[in-house]
Amino acid sequence: MIELIEVAERARTGPRLEEMEWNMMLFRKMQELIKEYDLRCRGVEEFINTDDSLADDAFRAACDFIVDVGAYCISTNRVIHFDEAEVKKAVREAPKQVLMGEGKDARVFRQGQVDGLEPININPGHHAPFTEDLGSLVAKNFAQIPRTDFIEGFNLPAVDGRDIYGQPLEAYAAIREVAWMREGVRKAGRPGLAIVLYPITTRASSLIAPMNPQLGLRPTDGLLMSTLPDVKVEYDHITTAIVFSSYGYFAVNGSFGMAGGFCGGPEGALIEGIVRPIIGYMTYGDSLHYTGVEHLAYVMGERIILHPINWARSVVYQALCRNTNLIYMDWNITCSELCTETGLLENAIRSVEATVNGAALYAPRVSRAKMNAGQTPVEPEFMIEVSDATLKAKLKRAEAGKILQQIANQLRGRSPEKGKTTQECYDLVKHKPSPEYEAIYHQVKKTLSQHGLEFT
Amino acid sequence: MEKSEYIKKLREAILSYDAEAALRIAKDAINAEVDPIEAIENGIAAGIREVGEKFQRFEVFLPHLVMASDATTEAMKVLVDAVPKDRVGAVKRGRIVVGTVEGDLHDLGKNVVVMMLKAAGFEVFDLGKDVQTNVLVERAQDLDADLIAVSSLMTTTRPYQRELVEELDRLGLRTRFKVLVGGGPVTKEWAEEIGADGYGRDAMEGVAEAKRLLGIED
Repeated sequence: MIELIEVAERARTGPRLEEMEWNMMLFRKMQELIKEYDLRCRGVEEFINTDDSLADDAFRAACDFIVDVGAYCISTNRVIHFDEAEVKKAVREAPKQVLMGEGKDARVFRQGQVDGLEPININPGHHAPFTEDLGSLVAKNFAQIPRTDFIEGFNLPAVDGRDIYGQPLEAYAAIREVAWMREGVRKAGRPGLAIVLYPITTRASSLIAPMNPQLGLRPTDGLLMSTLPDVKVEYDHITTAIVFSSYGYFAVNGSFGMAGGFCGGPEGALIEGIVRPIIGYMTYGDSLHYTGVEHLAYVMGERIILHPINWARSVVYQALCRNTNLIYMDWNITCSELCTETGLLENAIRSVEATVNGAALYAPRVSRAKMNAGQTPVEPEFMIEVSDATLKAKLKRAEAGKILQQIANQLRGRSPEKGKTTQECYDLVKHKPSPEYEAIYHQVKKTLSQHGLEFT
Repeated sequence: MEKSEYIKKLREAILSYDAEAALRIAKDAINAEVDPIEAIENGIAAGIREVGEKFQRFEVFLPHLVMASDATTEAMKVLVDAVPKDRVGAVKRGRIVVGTVEGDLHDLGKNVVVMMLKAAGFEVFDLGKDVQTNVLVERAQDLDADLIAVSSLMTTTRPYQRELVEELDRLGLRTRFKVLVGGGPVTKEWAEEIGADGYGRDAMEGVAEAKRLLGIED
């Protein structure tokens, strides 16, 4: 891996470029690569890519992007360049597995396999907004899910009843966030479970503040340190990576391509979805990546969009699996809210997709989550069941794609459903769903069984 | 060439994202004594509105909005100058300062709003992301803006939208500028709570709110 101080130096001395010039250059390069490598969905309604050569072409397009264009540092308005040898070395040397947590709660989080047969890794919760009064209780609930490998923190509107303004409060809020998480996992009987700090802001001060082997982030914990959309990086993250590199930690990178943005449509977004994990590793040392492709309208909670976004997402996962050691995850966001049939159907589609593409599951939540209404333990537990059913049926990509098409037909033309808050449909004290949510869960499972998934 | 032909070609130049053609045709149109207001409304505005609608349907993407906006800007330089002083009000919709609040580096949603506001005919000054409150206020004053639009995509940076409203109040500028808020964790209830003038759930709503706040009827 290139030394972090070398990355910092390149960010300081690389060619200057205005940000909008970079954005448009990215778009033009993506269009050029799409044409050169003929990256397009070749099946009318292919939900999951089954063309391995296409995945490999997509990977080559991503490498060409990095070598020809690079990454952009928004802190210095300069381009960071990498050469081909550095890129090849990075994808080969990136860790294929990460040991996280400690004691009996230590877990190995590893790169999955396309059409693999092993259970997938999971972070079941957070990266969603919760108020501080629910802090440790929410963490406890998600840590109680036996298959949890790590838990990420949450967005906070206030700490100690105060709005979080300025670096002093940001640092304090970050420390409290980790403290609540630590308390929660202890209450769940999993004191060594790995915690990932969700950034209060992306300023280095608030990322570094909770570093404390006894009471805060341990060397076996992690940080969310994402590259920015449009292949951008920034100084605060490079700084944080430098500080933590000698401490020991693992870093998570949010790195999907957003169709509709500067990368263009799904084809450009899939290139970005491959580029950003590589850049995340090379610039920040990120070792886990929730990536793939999303659509602007989906992320905004406006429309349930499936094909061809699912197809593009599968190309990203397959490209990474076939050509790199990078550990990739699927961030399951749903347009529909909690305690809805469509919400669980969206979860199911993503779970089947992730499983056959070898992607771990990451923090399922409502895409445009309101306060205390982003997630409950039902969704990840349900997704684990769906994933296991997929493995049990030994579903490969082609068959899984057909099942997904059937499920998608049920969602066709339906608008996102309004739902409930976390506490309206889940009892966080008793750790159980409301009767209404439980009934919906059973109904959706029955529907999925009719489509060929066998639940134990 | 017929005057209507110039207007048609202006619209086409916007739809083909051709800034050079837009500028050239705008100059030719003025030389041919085409009414600049008509050229703006039925040529430029019609073209960029259509691009905006295509974006809403996801037929084109953000870069297309940028290119259409660039073409619009080129043509408008010439056309606005040609509008008689007593009719300038007909083409000036309002001046808007936009930014993502301090501590927040998310800007995709903000970028979409900027482009859609431009497509709707507003003069937009994009201050970028991680913009401190005092910078938003100072730039709005320097530019003699009508509205300040701020985006926040993190729950933890949302309070800076409140800070903006409070700062305008403190400086005695609260009624001078309209405040429009938006972003992932931002809701109508939040906007009301902090005393913002308007809220946009998405870019289209943001544009509609900007029009409402500035008294523009289409």
